[in-house]
Amino acid sequence: MNFSLLLCLALFTGDADRPFDFDTEIIPVLTKAGCNAGACHGAAAGRGGFHLSLWGADPAADHEAIVHALEGRRINLARPELSLLLAKPTGQMNHGGNIVLSEQSRGTARLRDWIRSGSGRGAPRRLTGFELSPSQYVCDSVPVRIPLHSTARFDDGPSEDVTDWTIFTTSDPAAVEIDPATAVAQVRRRGRHVVIARFLDRVVPLQFIVPLADAPVDLSTEPRANFIDEEILRTLTLLRLPVSPSADDAAFMRRVHLDLTGRLPEPGAVETFLSNTVADKRARLVESLLSSDAFNDYWTLRFARLLHMHSLPNEKEGVRAYAAWLRGELAARRPFHDIARELLTATGDSHVVGPANFGRMVADARGHAELVGRFFMGMRLGCANCHNHPLDKWTQDDYHGLAAVFARLERGRNVQVASRGAVTNLRTGEPAVPRVPGERYLNSDGDHRVEFANWLTGTENHYFARATVNRLWRAMFGRGLVEPTDDLRDTNPATHPELLDRLAKDFAKHGYDIRHTLRLIALSRTYARTDASVSGNAADDRYYSRAYVRSLDPEVLADAIADVTGVANVYADHAAGTRAVTLVDPLTPSPSLDILGRCSRADGCDENATVRGGLPMQLHLLNGELINRKLSDATGRLRRLIADGKTDAEIITEFYMRGLSRAPTVDELARWHERVSTGDAADRIERLEDFAWSLLNSRRFMENH
Amino acid sequence: MRTNIRQRCDGVTRRDTLRLGTLTALGLCLSDLFRHRAGAADNKPVRAKSCILLWLDGGPSHLETFDVKPDAPAEVRGPFAAIATNVGGMQISELLPRTAQIADQIAIVRSLTSPLGEHGLANHYVLTGYKPSPVLHHPSYGSVVTHVRSGRHVLPPYVAIPEAKSTAGAGFLGLSHEPFMTGGDPSKPDFRVRDLEFFPGVTDARINRRREFLAEFDAAQAVVESTGARTDSPFDQAYRLVTTPEAKRAFDLAAEPAEVRARYGSRMFGQSCLLARRLVERGVPFVTVQNTGWDTHDGLVLRLRDGYSGAKVGVGLVPIFDQGFAALIDDLHTHGLLDETLVIAMGEFGRTPKLNVRGGRDHWPRVFSAVLAGGGISGGQAIGASDRVGESPQDRAVTPSDLACTIYTLLGIDPRHELHTVDGRPVPVNQGGHVIRELL
Repeated sequence: MNFSLLLCLALFTGDADRPFDFDTEIIPVLTKAGCNAGACHGAAAGRGGFHLSLWGADPAADHEAIVHALEGRRINLARPELSLLLAKPTGQMNHGGNIVLSEQSRGTARLRDWIRSGSGRGAPRRLTGFELSPSQYVCDSVPVRIPLHSTARFDDGPSEDVTDWTIFTTSDPAAVEIDPATAVAQVRRRGRHVVIARFLDRVVPLQFIVPLADAPVDLSTEPRANFIDEEILRTLTLLRLPVSPSADDAAFMRRVHLDLTGRLPEPGAVETFLSNTVADKRARLVESLLSSDAFNDYWTLRFARLLHMHSLPNEKEGVRAYAAWLRGELAARRPFHDIARELLTATGDSHVVGPANFGRMVADARGHAELVGRFFMGMRLGCANCHNHPLDKWTQDDYHGLAAVFARLERGRNVQVASRGAVTNLRTGEPAVPRVPGERYLNSDGDHRVEFANWLTGTENHYFARATVNRLWRAMFGRGLVEPTDDLRDTNPATHPELLDRLAKDFAKHGYDIRHTLRLIALSRTYARTDASVSGNAADDRYYSRAYVRSLDPEVLADAIADVTGVANVYADHAAGTRAVTLVDPLTPSPSLDILGRCSRADGCDENATVRGGLPMQLHLLNGELINRKLSDATGRLRRLIADGKTDAEIITEFYMRGLSRAPTVDELARWHERVSTGDAADRIERLEDFAWSLLNSRRFMENH
Repeated sequence: MRTNIRQRCDGVTRRDTLRLGTLTALGLCLSDLFRHRAGAADNKPVRAKSCILLWLDGGPSHLETFDVKPDAPAEVRGPFAAIATNVGGMQISELLPRTAQIADQIAIVRSLTSPLGEHGLANHYVLTGYKPSPVLHHPSYGSVVTHVRSGRHVLPPYVAIPEAKSTAGAGFLGLSHEPFMTGGDPSKPDFRVRDLEFFPGVTDARINRRREFLAEFDAAQAVVESTGARTDSPFDQAYRLVTTPEAKRAFDLAAEPAEVRARYGSRMFGQSCLLARRLVERGVPFVTVQNTGWDTHDGLVLRLRDGYSGAKVGVGLVPIFDQGFAALIDDLHTHGLLDETLVIAMGEFGRTPKLNVRGGRDHWPRVFSAVLAGGGISGGQAIGASDRVGESPQDRAVTPSDLACTIYTLLGIDPRHELHTVDGRPVPVNQGGHVIRELL
């Protein structure tokens, strides 16, 4: 027996020096065939009585399950091909998961050889590196076939070709398709495509770049205001995308007002701005907006959404203190890392100490850890609750370790750190050890929250700055450099990785001042482009060759409707004239805001949340009170203008100025004049109402552009 | 729509084709019907095109409705007697005489079981087929149906009368799959659906003018973007709905003969059932009728039978349900719609086997009943049973997940079909459920 086994080894492994290593040579075969996927034996409960760890995260348990469980019936050393491990996936025996390995495949051969060699665990060795060649591929035209290669390095010797066992996942199969058997990529569409390669616990991205046009574009003479423009134009040149020209002053003013303050500009301000001839008038405008109260109101709401700020049952004092504190911090221009530190470490009476409410917006330490990951690091750690993150480096130990950092926090009205408290690491069943995710365990006796905050806001830590600038970018452009903004990871690369790095470093260098970064963006030439396309860039939705049109937020839209019509919205228990953007608590009753798609923050509402509006919103705008009542209100703008004896042209111009922040063109004025003019006074009122209604329902009004 | 015509060879009957005209205008589009059929779980013919869920909110007592225990001790048996139905051997509560006459059309599942005895958790489980999870809000049946059958429609594809629990919502599928809630009380003479009628002073002519004016604004924009107008904007959908009298008439119960309205009963529940019939008749794939008040911790006689103290004719929850439910089944049958409309009546759990000291029953999820009718199911049967005292399933335990799997299968939706959360996590329509074969 011993003799024959040795003979087999010599005959079949091809590498007589070394037996198979189960962890690094057999598990990849199972992973590649999908055996340990969540839908199959990798499910928490296994499948068909056979359980493997998800993606092979626990090789010891897997070896046990394969070799020893079921009284060893999964392995037949004497006749390897009769082993359940082979007979099932190759279809020799009935298999609920169908045939996942062909008998001739290299995977089958390797499994057979391993069984023949005694199905041992092998010599433990560690994966030290995993690389793709190429890792970025730029080609001129499509379709094109590109063979991919991957190599792994282990701590016991030279690197090995592991292409056969690498799993390539394409995010857009219509653009890039990869044959799992040959690892040849077929690129079918132009643009920039990302493919994820996985081997064992490593995941690395692979990029394909195919210019969007055949002819190069020359952007060398395009003006550059700062490094944002340099980076954006570099990528546009690579992709051969032409750029749209700069937006005119009126369009710029409306856009920057909405982005920085959530408000439309007043007609008087528009006129002053348009007639101003000072060269740096845009810079002055941006400066005045960044210093305005409206800025503080609007950004309080923006951050409140991300922080899941909401009132607790029968307890409105907490959210009030929380919002007032945040607004005060923004108004005082507190550096953002100081704000972060407060949120992470505050304790005390949450009805008085605003930031102490941070941990009260979640149910427990795990929720706390997930919110910390999302808000401060732009990362989704939730996956790692039950299993290691499938697309990122986060492990269950990281997840539960971060939860353990907050395990001792008491989340009642009086927020304090108790002397005891733990969370269970679901992997080990033991109390989790507090841990800085991906870095180190915290073994000291002190308040682990402080240690974590030190790490998070330290200058060598890039998570915080990257997550923050990515959200600021999204606020200004309607999409993040990384989308979604709470999913930053190596395998979800930025559209402009260098730009994200430079913005993050610049943010840190300038004292984590959000106004600095917002100013930089607002004054870039990139931000100032018009949304109108030029030939060749109409389809661009991520390279910033033009501005992108975005829907107004529900709160901003409700305020804008009130501003244009001159009739305020009414909110229960709030003073007349209260603006929707100041209703930080999403549980403040307002049927209109609900219909417009306000997020219910108790559920959590990231910026990337769901589709809004839909039929109820349209019906409400069409037939509901939100607009209709304001148009027929005797004290409203329209009726007052009519009562004041204004002409059709004056009224049309006024609504254009208020709603669209520009005067109508001569042609537009003539056409509207023709449509509304009538000798009948009652008919005129109706026609003007219908005009104003249409303006308020037009895409140009309902969108930021 | 045209692109799908050639697919007609794959099994659409002439009757379907005739009906498609209406569906295209009012409910489903042609491609969706095909897609819906293509996604069927197996090769069994799918009959149910629509579903009406009668949601008995609060947890109806199984012992006073569809799972009577006439031979049990008084504190289990409760205050009411059992009566025979038109199906031999099947008894139900004496409060359900009309339902007893259509028992051959219904199937009672008497062995539903769940571990969840709190309203919010329980109705999430029963309305979605998933136990509540801290990380995912699962979509309810209606939202999944609208998601799978997206398309151009006039009437909203998922209507809730008058409203729905948040757990009967879209969950991670997002706002566009939330139910369209009618609000109001269909039994009231002034019943109207929110924002469906023109604002006072706004006429047909003005709506058309507004549309024309709006097109003027947006066309200018489309030129700027050189993209052409969007094909089916939410505004267009809203406009179609409010200006399609035939669609709006779906909500107009006054259009029903007085004698039909009377058959459903004058109360809110009955008239809501009638409204539901009018909607599925016009191709709406999913309608929820919500009926509240079933959380009967005290006074079973008053709440379930009488309605108010001293009532000569009972107008409590069960008689009102009995009249509306039986009328709905009858009426669907009369209209030739029963075979293609799955009707489900259920709540989130049952009630405690023993009466409490206040003459009521408390929450009891360990065994409870659900009733199904239409949609091609085999009627006239009771599936599973509770034990002697209605405490636990005696045989054939059925979980809410099994029920969900069955409902999706009956509606032609593959339970394994994958939905995706906003962050891309794939979630099957149903997980771990088994079809209740007896129903098929």
